[in-house]
Amino acid sequence: MSADPAPGLPPGADDGTLLQKPVDRREALGLLLAGVAAGAAAAGACTPLTAATPDERELKLLEWEEFTQKHYRRMTEEERAETVARLERLAKLRYNEDATIATTDAQPGVLFGYAFNISKCKGYRRCVEACINENNLDRHQDTQYIRIFEMENGVVNLEEADATYQHEVPMEGHFYLGAQCFQCANPPCVPVCPVGATWQEPDGIVVIDYNWCVGCRACMAACPYWARRFNWSAPEVPPEEVNPNQHYLGNRHRKKGCVEKCTFCIHRTRQGRLPACAEACPTGARVFGNLLDPDSEIRWVLANKTVFRLKEELATEPRFWYFAD
Amino acid sequence: MSPARWGLAVPGIAAVCLASGCQEGRQVGWDQPPPGTAEVQVDSATAARNATLEPGVLTTVQTLPVVRWKGPGGRPFEVGRRSAAPEAGYTRLFGTITLPIALRSRAASLNQYPCTSCHQGQKIVMENKRIGDAHQNIKPVHPDQTGAICSTCHSPDDVEVLTLKSGEHARLDESYRLCAQCHFSQADAWAGGAHGKRLDGWEGRRVVMACADCHDPHKPAVPTLIPFRAPQLERTRGHAP
Repeated sequence: MSADPAPGLPPGADDGTLLQKPVDRREALGLLLAGVAAGAAAAGACTPLTAATPDERELKLLEWEEFTQKHYRRMTEEERAETVARLERLAKLRYNEDATIATTDAQPGVLFGYAFNISKCKGYRRCVEACINENNLDRHQDTQYIRIFEMENGVVNLEEADATYQHEVPMEGHFYLGAQCFQCANPPCVPVCPVGATWQEPDGIVVIDYNWCVGCRACMAACPYWARRFNWSAPEVPPEEVNPNQHYLGNRHRKKGCVEKCTFCIHRTRQGRLPACAEACPTGARVFGNLLDPDSEIRWVLANKTVFRLKEELATEPRFWYFAD
Repeated sequence: MSPARWGLAVPGIAAVCLASGCQEGRQVGWDQPPPGTAEVQVDSATAARNATLEPGVLTTVQTLPVVRWKGPGGRPFEVGRRSAAPEAGYTRLFGTITLPIALRSRAASLNQYPCTSCHQGQKIVMENKRIGDAHQNIKPVHPDQTGAICSTCHSPDDVEVLTLKSGEHARLDESYRLCAQCHFSQADAWAGGAHGKRLDGWEGRRVVMACADCHDPHKPAVPTLIPFRAPQLERTRGHAP
């Protein structure tokens, strides 16, 4: 088989490492499983087990299709539309919710950057609250993408920082520093993925195809900031609290056994809105914007404030800076 | 001031007004949108998705162009209007849940607004001390620390106008013009984007909150609050952070 990119790739689709695999094993597996499914369906039709409703049969079929779907970056526009329609239908069948799953691509000329004012953050954790609601985070496991560290004034010492404080804040003589996924320019989590399920988008956001993730958690071991979270069980969100405004690479339903992380609220920021954490922050400690726009607030902060990043010596180049007044 | 006190005070003031024959003599309606006011959809995607949102939840906020200061790259920007629709722009929908984002409750801080609800057009003579019961809800921490009196910031001629050192007047919505007279470095950071809070998205028009939207001008330090619940790290952590 030639090394040329597969025909039918959408314009701008990735032709990187993922595509150099000589055989599309998923597709082969898909055909095989479709055969098994057909056989099973035939067997099912011959048995007295006819209790399945049309919805249940549709669910089973869609689940087979979901199991055999392509990698997100190899999908054509039509396949993306089909996949999203299938996932929306599955959300309806599984959870009875009317989700809208977007596949909005990165805007050209946009590279997202974040700045965090450690003298403005007062540790209220309103960002955490908004993040949970916005990104449909698992309430059972209490998944949180953002951690706020409380530290004594004078030195940034994360080893002795308290990320689980629960008292009235701000506390005298302390300051607060928030950490989440930094969307590193040199992300150590990406090359370790054995199946290419995580990659960096052109606007700098590191994303995961939850359907492609095999749950090996190598990326979690590679991340020096503990920014990734694992679903030990199927995420639980109360139906009335599910955010229906979703993105394929963002806050759509995750499954048991896949890794997830902060995506700078990809479904919001690709519409020109602020991430939920920045919008919820009551003190304005969070600055978000386009690093390629010289007149953006984030560029003003980088040009006029003394900024630092966490673990700079690792050369991960986070796109997340800290500054003080 | 407690509601009970209000009940006593308002008829009293009204009686004084009637007795002195004061009339609706105000020249400028400060609660009316001034020229240059624009309405901007600060959360258009949410608004579109929730066309049937209950009243009071953010849809639009009125803005005023910022004078004298320019944003990064010399771009003009705008402040949300404080006196219009007390809660507009200060709550947000996250997922399906509406959360307030303000440090101060604007409705509570504007409980005596507009000033004409008591001061029916007559000129107010401010003295170097507080008289009577009218503004007992104000704890003048900042004025006391700086030696300021009411008329240092509030125009004695018109209670709904701020007075600047230059003799100019500024709207209550334009608190940044007053505060920046002393806090100039904070004002520069605010104009640049490092201080203060942006209300709309990250691109397009820039609408920010003004000083008094977060800081109580009479007591500017931000309050202490109980934080949102802590993460249960023992169940979710993979390895040491």
